[in-house]
Amino acid sequence: MTSYLLQQIVNGLILGSMYALVAIGFSMIYGIVRLINFAHGDIAMIGAFTALAVMIVAGLPLPVVILAVLVVGAAMGLAIEFVAFRPLRGAPQVNGFITSLAVSILIQNVAILLLTAEPRGVAFPAFLSERIPGLPINIDLVDILIVVLAVALMLGLVTIVNRTRLGMAMRATAENLDVARLMGINVSRTIMAAFAIGSALAGIAGLMWSARYGQIDPIMGFLPGLKAFVAAVIGGVGSIPGAMLGGYLLGLAEVLFVGLLPPEYAGYRDAFVFGTLILVLLVLPNGLMGRAAEDRA
Amino acid sequence: MLEIGGAQVWRGQTHVLHGIDLAVAEGEIVALIGANGAGKTTVLMTICGLLRPRQGAVRYRAAGSSEPVDLARLTPEAIVGQGIALCPEGRQVFASLSVRENLMIGAYLRRDRAAIAADLDHVVSRFPILGERARQPAGSLSGGEQMMLAIGRSLMSRPRLLLLDEPSLGLAPQIVEAIFDILSDINEAGTTMLLVEQNASMALELAHRAYVMETGRVTLSGRAQDLADNPEIRRAYLGAA
Repeated sequence: MTSYLLQQIVNGLILGSMYALVAIGFSMIYGIVRLINFAHGDIAMIGAFTALAVMIVAGLPLPVVILAVLVVGAAMGLAIEFVAFRPLRGAPQVNGFITSLAVSILIQNVAILLLTAEPRGVAFPAFLSERIPGLPINIDLVDILIVVLAVALMLGLVTIVNRTRLGMAMRATAENLDVARLMGINVSRTIMAAFAIGSALAGIAGLMWSARYGQIDPIMGFLPGLKAFVAAVIGGVGSIPGAMLGGYLLGLAEVLFVGLLPPEYAGYRDAFVFGTLILVLLVLPNGLMGRAAEDRA
Repeated sequence: MLEIGGAQVWRGQTHVLHGIDLAVAEGEIVALIGANGAGKTTVLMTICGLLRPRQGAVRYRAAGSSEPVDLARLTPEAIVGQGIALCPEGRQVFASLSVRENLMIGAYLRRDRAAIAADLDHVVSRFPILGERARQPAGSLSGGEQMMLAIGRSLMSRPRLLLLDEPSLGLAPQIVEAIFDILSDINEAGTTMLLVEQNASMALELAHRAYVMETGRVTLSGRAQDLADNPEIRRAYLGAA
């Protein structure tokens, strides 16, 4: 039983790593432009297909694949910001929210048109699925890599946000956009940075998803994206450490829910996640690490 | 240095400034006084580019340059780069950033590291409390300390023209005295100031010249001393019987 529980916890941490990476983008973008970008999960899908193209079709090695996914993810984020959200600056929040749903539907359907809705297998190099020997539980090399890469990227992000000029500008802009402009901060560039960084991380989450589950399709980003949004809300939307915490908590909770309850409840895992959202909003409307909600007109 | 001519400014659907003429010369402290809602803050927001006049011009000539620039055509970021800083109403320090970060962000557009460090030392020597609290989040400071931080932050851009919006607001009288003394020092060190104040007696004491605004128009202007002696001003703004 202990090794079973341990296995579930490890599985939860792996799932949580992916939720956390996607949730960070939700929080960064919300923090600065007060926009919930529901197309964010679809960037994970684009990341997964980028990995497929670069690795299988072009036959390039894993580090190049990771780099390509980061770049394509960032580029997608910038493109979406420029085309869909920039024209809406200063518009009511709900306009951005609806637009992001439209962008999400558009991305999914364009992907279905170009790639068909058929799920595809992604064959990662065989050494990735090698079992780590000598452990009582089942851990593959890819699982270790997922968690290590996720933690490394998050540490990198925290360093950027807390230690660099850009990070300082992002925090200042998130707190007070008008006063940030009065300091000479180019707010447009700060917003672009948030979209680029958040989307690059979401792309990597998609890559991880395909590496772990071996199958990708054009609407794969939708449900995990929504769940990552739940993770961001649990952590407190707008808070980057909150998004990380929320991602891991939700990953663990979801896996333990399925793993510890009788099998006939497994079908309710999504209901459980969204039920958690309702509960969190009732009990802790600002999430675990969020500041009091405020509306920016 | 700064010249506003016939500025008509709207905030959303509201016509706030009905043709304002105002000038600030190099080295001056100019006060802008008037009741709540007269449009004083709107004047400052127009100068720093957060609002744009529908008509009229906002001309600014930096020392040493012969051609004035039209601020109404520049973004707020570019206006900071021209040497204009606003110390906003209600202080508006970045509460979650540390005191030191708040000061450093004032120098955001500057690249001269050595000079930034020297200016940081200079601000801290002017406001020692900011040195003691350097690592604390700015939100943990008292109102007076936040005001000092807001002034220090705006000095970090090395402004030639400092715009101050109600620096006395919500502060105890002794603290207001102290802050106005410091403003006077800063001016003597070469920074021109445009000061918006409801505390007209303090403002007229500090300023060289002043403008009186009522409902979006300048109704009176002149030497601060003359305005302070003007019986009408004394009755309306200085609380004299």
